Order: sequence, then structure tokens, then C-alpha cells
Amino acid sequence: MASQSTSRIRNFSIIAHIDHGKSTLADRLLELTGTVSARDLTEQMLDTMDLERERGITIKAQAVRMTYQARDGQTYEFNLIDTPGHVDFAYEVSRALAACEGALLVVDASQGIEAQTLANVYKALELGLEIVPVVNKIDLPQADPELVREEIARVIGIPAERSILASARTGEGVDRILEAVVTALPPPVGDAEAPLRALIFDCKYDAYRGVVVYVRVMDGRLRLGTQIRMMASQGTFTVDEVGIFRPSMVAVGELTAGEVGYLIASIRNVRDSKVGDTITEVSRPTREPLPGYRQVLPMVWAGLFPVDGDDYPDLKEALDRLQLNDAALTFEPETSVALGFGFRCGFLGLLHMEIVQERLEREFQLNLITTAPSVAYQVTLRDGRSLEIDNPDQLPEVGLIETIAEPRVKLEIVVPKEHLGGIMELCQERRGEFIQLEYQPPGERALLTYDLPLGEIIHDFYDQLKSRSRGYASMDYQLTGYRAEQLVKLDVLVAGSKVDALSIIVHRQQASNQGRKLVQRLREVIPRQLFEVAIQAAVGGKVIARETVSALRKDVLAKCYGGDITRKRKLLEKQREGKQRMKRVGSVEIPQEAFMAVLSLDR
Amino acid sequence: MTAEASLAAVRSLYLHIPFCDTRCPYCDFAIHLGGDHLHRPYVEALIQELGYLAGSGRPELGLETVYLGGGTPGLLAPPLLEQLLEAVALRFGIAQGAEITIEANPTGLTEERCRGWLALGINRLSLGVQSLDDQALRWLGRNHDSATAEAAIRAATKAGLENLSCDLIYAIPEQPTAVFEDGLRRLLEHSPQHVSCYELTVESGTPLARSIAKGRVAGPTEQEFVEQHRLARELLEEAGLLQYEVSNYAQLGRQSRHNLCYWQGRHYLAAGCGAHGFVDRAVAQRLGFSVDAGAVGIRYWNLRSAATYIKQVAAIGHGRRGHEAIDRDQAELERLACGLRLRSGVELTAPRQLVEAERLAELGLLTIAGQRVAATSTGIEVLDRLTLELVAGEPARARS
Repeated sequence: MASQSTSRIRNFSIIAHIDHGKSTLADRLLELTGTVSARDLTEQMLDTMDLERERGITIKAQAVRMTYQARDGQTYEFNLIDTPGHVDFAYEVSRALAACEGALLVVDASQGIEAQTLANVYKALELGLEIVPVVNKIDLPQADPELVREEIARVIGIPAERSILASARTGEGVDRILEAVVTALPPPVGDAEAPLRALIFDCKYDAYRGVVVYVRVMDGRLRLGTQIRMMASQGTFTVDEVGIFRPSMVAVGELTAGEVGYLIASIRNVRDSKVGDTITEVSRPTREPLPGYRQVLPMVWAGLFPVDGDDYPDLKEALDRLQLNDAALTFEPETSVALGFGFRCGFLGLLHMEIVQERLEREFQLNLITTAPSVAYQVTLRDGRSLEIDNPDQLPEVGLIETIAEPRVKLEIVVPKEHLGGIMELCQERRGEFIQLEYQPPGERALLTYDLPLGEIIHDFYDQLKSRSRGYASMDYQLTGYRAEQLVKLDVLVAGSKVDALSIIVHRQQASNQGRKLVQRLREVIPRQLFEVAIQAAVGGKVIARETVSALRKDVLAKCYGGDITRKRKLLEKQREGKQRMKRVGSVEIPQEAFMAVLSLDR
Repeated sequence: MTAEASLAAVRSLYLHIPFCDTRCPYCDFAIHLGGDHLHRPYVEALIQELGYLAGSGRPELGLETVYLGGGTPGLLAPPLLEQLLEAVALRFGIAQGAEITIEANPTGLTEERCRGWLALGINRLSLGVQSLDDQALRWLGRNHDSATAEAAIRAATKAGLENLSCDLIYAIPEQPTAVFEDGLRRLLEHSPQHVSCYELTVESGTPLARSIAKGRVAGPTEQEFVEQHRLARELLEEAGLLQYEVSNYAQLGRQSRHNLCYWQGRHYLAAGCGAHGFVDRAVAQRLGFSVDAGAVGIRYWNLRSAATYIKQVAAIGHGRRGHEAIDRDQAELERLACGLRLRSGVELTAPRQLVEAERLAELGLLTIAGQRVAATSTGIEVLDRLTLELVAGEPARARS
């Protein structure tokens, strides 16, 4: 039973597919509850990073407390926890959901439910959350709210009439959503007198105050001076401040069971505040940590190298700074014969990788080369030893290897039935094994499940999925385990020397096809040099494909410039800048995109 | 430094005469069509600007080179030319043995006119032959045919001009190499002392560029360029005209001294619309440029319209439109880029450049003698890239 103190609290998050209107709805809720005046409302209030606003995605979780005067005459405290919207951050999403009792499921009235949304709904249902469906964007001409309502009823089992029809853009129906939060979502249950149990659902690094920990107090009280212990990471700290988000941080006397807020405790490193960890009190610890904690591990790895070797210390410093606020980012020094000194970085997924890369270039003005992403392989050697490698170049000699196992995922795709054929073909090409096919609603959209190597997904799978379904398919995946396969390392030789950063691991049966396409692609992206350049693909020292970039024959303007030397020099300066974005490997200038060429091979 | 002393460093002068009878579809120079009535006021404006450039003093040494470029300076009536050259001599002095060049087109060029130029001290003629293939000449939009061009060459020679340069264009779309070869051989029968052999360049904004963009004309191909560039070099050198710059060939001692001044990074004054000048700090200061501490020189340029030029000079004495300060890095880049265009090459200073040069020498693109490097004949065909390779090792960006 909810106690007196928690009965007027509602903790909820919003589950939505990208572009289905989550941020706009959040803005509208903030406005209608008077948390932020319409004047101060910047669009997508909760997406605070420029990158988030630009891309329309949420990268970091946010929390905000709103006060709502309900029709029953009572005042309620709402805590909205905004969650990241991408499959790369699935675990973070699950912890943010675990901090709530309910969720608003926002579905675009013209699009219907997408795969990722569905995955998050299942997650929420597993965690026992109450769901209030919102059919959004009903003001759009192509909206078909009733059809979407029926779909929600069939797929999730929530009666159609319980879906609220709304338009976050015009504000229509938003009052009903606020009421539904009060009436349809349960208040938190928790014992304020029990030993402290608080769930960490995110954290951020503040240069002046250290780590700000986002918490949901499940039991007990959290106040200034409380000695706390992080149960998984084992750190102990003294609380300097607790507070709530309105949406800026406001200190309060204490956070009690059921409440959402933040704490500051002179924590220097985000690694001491792991998402999903349980905070308890040192003097009166709980016996049972909250369920669901898991160590977040990178899924894909790539090398990051400065184009200009002199930038290496700057890159290290930039990564250190990013890591302050990004516990999922890992990196260690890497040396490449071709690219020099850099870092092998681990990411949650491709989006995470892109974000890190973009922030390094944007916020730290670094000019980088990123190598093609790789998954981690488990290699068993003939002598019985085993090792894990996340860089194809680290693969031991073929003669020493007993088996190579690759990670596999359970992949779920939602696709309109007219595109089903193309998508199944894609999964087959990517060595997928069919598990099942369901229609939902029957005859309209297919829910397709495959067992597939993770390595196949990180290479251009998502773009292919989108292009083969005219943008309508969506996907979600979970790691299921490792399986030994006939895998080989494909090396690339440019002008006769191996370029270690271009090596990839592929299935033996696909090696010659992939090798051929890779060298063809490289021939397109490597500009002509002053000499002929051979590009070869090789497996185990045997060349399986070759292309040639012919030598540049003419690159001069045989003309009279008159006295206008300025024009000539400016042209040269511009070309010199372009050249500086390339990496010289041996004597060949290789542009950045060559190192990502493997990502854009059509197969 | 006094004004006179500073001017002593400037030994070259470029004068732009923008008038043309027709606009050639490939040309992007500052020109003015027709408008004979503008000739006199324009020359007067030029003379006024010369006064502005010279200041009060008169240098002791005098100019080594004067270049009347265009446009078509040959269109100016002899009395106007005389007035102009007198003003040059008065303001700057002309050194003994100076090279004085005039550009002219074959149309209307007579022996008499050439004699008149010689009498004015003009001793070098740069003739816009462009081609001796009538079809190509029509295609190039020239207002002369091959017979007119050959008659002009004969007239100039007969008049006693001993320093004749002919412009020739190659890599003309749809002109077979054999036809280009035939024209070149015919030109060489006239034994000009100098040939400027240019590829047809497609400058943005020209009618030619628009035709290519619309697909009406195929742009020149790399194959045509390489084939015809090599052929030209071979035939010209056989005829005793040695390549001394990417597109310039001359008998011994007949290189264009004025153009060498550009490529060797020396200073030059410029007057007239669309003209570009390059002066050192002292001259720049006297001419009223604000010169930054780091600048080693100033490049300036005049506005392009003849009519506006006349008005501006009348109002403020000069036709300047813009300028840029050249710092040490830029000067070095220019020195290398321009110097490498010469077959005599350029001195390298940075060790990193020498390492790069050795690699390029191994590819047969450069020769190295001590600190001096020069492009080989294959190297010159890829000279822009070669230059880039040599300068890329230079510090390019100021890092904070």
C-alpha cells in the first residue's frame, strides 16, 4: 500500500520511437504544469546537448519534477524520467523504467508501433509498469488514430478505448494525459522507515560539483550527511546535497521512499556511480540490493587515431574528459603500423560510437580517423589457451588457432508485410538464422525474429534495413551468446604493404566476395597518386582480389596567371587543407572514408 | 627608407589595357568591348595612376620590364601609346636594354604599326595566334583566321621585331592531335623567338564553362592534354625553343623577363583595371597600405571595370580594389609554387622538404642538385600535385 506521503507521487517515463513526438509531449507537460513557462521553454527542453537537439534523439536520461493540480482537487508530484531512445542504450532505458511505476506509450497516429518501442514496452511490462497509451499527432492529415488504437489493443492488449488521442503539437488531449497519470498510474510503494535502498538510473559529471547521481529512492530516506555505500561498486561517500529537478537542480532537505531526485557526494568518477547500482546506508544497510544490476560492457570496438600524430595527447585528454560523463566509453592505447598512435575504444553500439566521434571532432576540434568497427571474438588456441580480441589485427597466426567464436544476437524486426521479402533476404545475406515470423495485426505488419551474428549488424545493417523497407522497418536486438564459425581475417595491402587498420574478420564463404567489393570500394575512395597503386585483399597471405588506382597523369594548369599569384596560392592552400585530412600510409595518401569503406559495401 | 630608394626595388611594371573587339568564350580577364571613345580617358587615368604609384621621386635605376597586357593593347592608337610610354619613362625611368612587351591580335596588325611600336621602344610582341586551324579558331570565337595570323607574323618579322612571342592553345575539344601538330609545325616555320603554349582552361563563369555545363561541348580530356603537351614540347625543343616554364618556350636569351619576375617572386607595380601588383613593405607603406608586423609584402589588385576605374582614378588617384598582406609562410608557399613552374627549379630550405623531394626524385618526377630541385618533363605534367607534396610538410595551420 502506498503510504500517505507517497500516494500523491507519480513516477513515469515516456516510451516512444524516434520522431513520434516524445520531446514535444514532454515540453507540453512542462508547460501545462507550470514547471517551465512557455516563454522559457526552449524546444526539446529535456534534450540538453546540442547533439541531442540536432539529431532529435535523447542520449542522456533526464528527470524533472512537476506539480499538478488534479481534477480531484489534490496536488500531485510528477516525476518524469526521460529515457534514451536508441537500442545502444537499452540497459540504461531498463534502469530508468525500473525507477518508475508507469509509462506513457507514445505512438505516432500515422506510423503505428515500431520494433524498438515494442521492445521497451515489453521491458516496462516485465518490470510491472502500468502503461498509458497515447496516440499522438492526430492533427496530421495522414493520421489514422483508430487503426493505431486497434493495433495497440492487439499487440499489447490494452483496450482501444484506453488509448488517449492527442496532439502534443497543438496541445489537444494533453489535459487527459495529465489526468490519466493521476488515475491510471499507481503511486510508488515503499517504506520510508526501512533501510535505505535507492536506484541509480543515471549520472552526469559536473566540473564544479563532481558526479551528480540521479536516484529513485525505493525505501528509507536520503539526506544531507547520510553515509552511503554503492552496493556493486563498493564505494562509500557522504552525501553533501540532495535535491530535485525543476528542471534545474534545487536542493531539498531529504528524499524519501518513492521520490526521484539527485544526490551529490564528492564523487569524482562516473564509474563510482554505476547505472542500476543500489545505494544503501553504511550504518543501516539493506540486505537485498535492488534486482537488475548489470555491468555495462561495450559491444563494438574501433580504433580512433588523430590524422596529425601531434594531436595524440589532445585526443587522450579529450577521451578522458568524455569518459567523465560516459561510463560506457572505454579506451586503451593502440598502435597501428599504418595509423600510428591512437586508442582502441569500446562502445555500446554504432550510434554511441558516432556520438563519441562527433563530440571529439566538434567539442575538441580533433581531426580523426576511425577504423571500421569490430565486435569481440573469442579465440581458442591449439594449446588450449583462449583469448578475446576486439581488433582483427590482433588475431594470432592461423596455424595457432583452434576456433574463433563470434557473438550472436536475437534480432527482432517489425516490418510492413510488403517489404518482408527484402528484409528476410537481408537477414539471410547476413548469415541470419530464421526463428519466427508473426503478423501483428494479422496480415499487416510482420514481427520477424532472427538469430544473427552481431558483427553482421554493425556493418551497414541498419541503413540497409531502412533502405529496403523505404524507412518503415525498425529493429531491436539482444546479445545471446557466442558460436564458433569458419572465420578468417581479410587483410588489405595498399601498394604492397599490409594496412593493419583495414583488416576485417569475415566468414570464410564470404571472404572472396567481400574482398572483391572492398578493394573495388577502396579504388573509388583512394585518390590517384603520383604512381600506380595496387590495392589487394588477401586471406592468409593469399591474394584473393586486386584493383589498381592508376597514376595521376595530369595535374597542372598550363596557363598564364599574369600577375595574379594570389589566386594560384589560394587554390594551393585549399588543396593543402584537403590533403591534411588524409593519412599517409607508406607513401600513399588514404582519406578517412577508406577506413570505413567496409561499412558501405553492398553485398 | 626614402620613397626613391624604396622604388628602386621595383623594376617591373604591368599596364592593363582592357579593350577588345570581341569576347572570346574562354577568356576571364578584365576586358572592355568596343568603346573606342574610352581609349583616351582610360590612358589619361592610367597616366594619373602612374603618378600616384611613383610618388614624388624618380628612381635612378629605371624599369627593367614593362608589359602592356590586356585585353588588346595593340588596339590603342600609336599617339596614345606614345603618351603612355612617355609618362612611364618620366615617372619611373626605363633602364637601358629594358624589355617592353605589347600584346596584340593578328587582326589589323600591319608592318607599319609594328614599326611604330619599335620606334616607341616596344621591342617585344606577344601575338594572340592561338591556333592555325581555321575550324579551331572559329570554335575559339576568334575574329581572325589562320591566313591573317600568318600574315601578322610575317609583318612583324618584316618590320624588324626580333622578339616575337606567339600564343598557342592546345587541348581544344574535338581538335585531333594531328591537326594541332600541323598548326604547330606551320607556326614553327616562321621561327618565332618565343611560344606560350597554353592548354584550354575552362574558367568558371565564362561562356565556355556554361556550354560544358549544359553538355553542348565536351571538356578537354586528360589524354588530349598529355598527348599534345608532350608533342608540343618535343617539336618546340627540336626547333630550338626550350621549355623554361610549364607553358613557355624560348630561344636562348629570349625568355620573357617580365613573366620571370612573377615566377621568381620579385616585386612589380601594376596599373589599369583588373591589374595585380606586388610590392615590398616600404613601397606598400608609401602607397598607404596598413602593413601588419608579420607581412613581408603586399599584393594588391585594381577594380575590373574600365569605366569605374576611370571614375575612381579621377576621384582618388588610383584604381585599387583590394589587397592582401603576405606573411612569411605564404611567401614561402608562393616561392615554391611559382619557382617549381620553372624548369630551372627552386631552392628547398626545410629538411622535411628535401626528404619528400628524394621520394619524388625516385619516381622520376624531380631532379635534385644540392638544395635545388626542378621538375622533370613528366614531373611538370603533374606539377600541382608535386608542389603540394613538397609543401604539405610545411606548418599549415597556426595551432593554439
